[in-house]
Amino acid sequence: MNPGSVPAILATLLAGALTALQIATGAALLAFALGLLLAVVNVFVRAPLARATHLVIGAYVEWMRNVPALAHLFILYFGLASVGWQLSPKVAAITGLGLVGAAVLCDVFSAAMRALPAGQREAALACGLTPLQALQTVVLPQVLQFTLPALGNYATQLIKDTAIASAIAAPEIMFYARSLVTSTFQTPLIYGCAILLYASVIYPVNWAFARLERRLGAGR
Amino acid sequence: MNHFLQVVAEYLPQWGPRLVEAAWVTAGLSLAGFLLALVLGALLVALQRSHLAPLRHAARGFIQFMRAVPLLALLLALYFGLPSLGLTLSGYGAGILGLGVQGSAYVAEVLRGGLDAVHRGQRESALAAGLTPRQVFMHIVLPQALRVMLPPLVNCYVSLLKDSSLCALIATNELMLTARAIASEDFLPLHIFVLVGLFYFAIAFPLSMLSRLLGMRLARGRRSMGGSPGPSRLGAFPRLRWRRLRAARLPVTERL
Repeated sequence: MNPGSVPAILATLLAGALTALQIATGAALLAFALGLLLAVVNVFVRAPLARATHLVIGAYVEWMRNVPALAHLFILYFGLASVGWQLSPKVAAITGLGLVGAAVLCDVFSAAMRALPAGQREAALACGLTPLQALQTVVLPQVLQFTLPALGNYATQLIKDTAIASAIAAPEIMFYARSLVTSTFQTPLIYGCAILLYASVIYPVNWAFARLERRLGAGR
Repeated sequence: MNHFLQVVAEYLPQWGPRLVEAAWVTAGLSLAGFLLALVLGALLVALQRSHLAPLRHAARGFIQFMRAVPLLALLLALYFGLPSLGLTLSGYGAGILGLGVQGSAYVAEVLRGGLDAVHRGQRESALAAGLTPRQVFMHIVLPQALRVMLPPLVNCYVSLLKDSSLCALIATNELMLTARAIASEDFLPLHIFVLVGLFYFAIAFPLSMLSRLLGMRLARGRRSMGGSPGPSRLGAFPRLRWRRLRAARLPVTERL
């Protein structure tokens, strides 16, 4: 083991950090948008349609949440390629992690919307706001504030989960770590550096969410 | 879709036994990992409640660090890294160790939350009634805390089970690695990975439902807050209503 090679190792791993960041950002955006949409449909669609939407969204969420993310990535990357739909590793990782995240966030947002007193929305409608305006200006801001801790947990989990993308050869941190290991054999040092790199991203993210929570008085 | 099912049905006699065998490996791996997580988690909680500040800080730091490390990095470090430091583990052993060590951080948070949820008056009045601290913990605090802990503990196991799929990358013959082997033999990756997903689903989904059912049971017993928590009848389950179960998620405001 040669501690002098730490800077070189970190420089290589940092090249992968950019891809990891792209995957995390893309997946987070997809998860947030789709999760919010599913939650709104899940909570606000009424009687005749509600049965169908509950069933479809419920099935989607349960499938996504009770199957390992690795299986989803393999289905998207190897599975789709075998039927003639070749995704790049990065796109497959973003899609896979994003779809899983959408299921997680759908649950989070649904729970928060149900927990919000019905009077909030009713009062907004009684004031003459359209349903969409009521959602935008009254319901969603409170829901976001209420769910901040859960969103923080999700963000942390997502950053960690980007490591799985190395299993489908997306060139992120663990991918570079593994290829470094096969060329230099400084195994403990390289994986140690990778672990520290992840921790050095996740600690500030945790701290930022905790601070945001305190400022907005989330949960109350 | 029909064609898909036909192909799966055709290959199932070949794949089935191998996947079932691998499912037992996954079950052993995840259960052993969870057991280790429970033991280490309890130890971490004990350390966090210690009178010595350094021990408390060490336990806290360990939990936060473990929650900031990707499991894959941990597994690779244990499996490939430890041999050059003189300790060689099998993929199975490294998997159990990695799953257990990381799981312990999450389990510890659940256990701590459960103990904190017991009203302090319970402990104080038990002490005032003349019970020893040990008796108080075993007969008053722990039984009540267990009710709070049980649903999230089941959830912990479910995520540990899903995480055990990563052990495929350190050469453990569990479900995912077996599926990959089959995929490279028969060139039907879509079919085999969906099928293996169903295997995980078949274990994880009933457990998720159980967790929510337990949670609803608990919420019902808790209605009489302030006074006694009422007779504990964990055996008496409410009737299973799908829609209500779907809505009965664990609270989202808690920071894990």
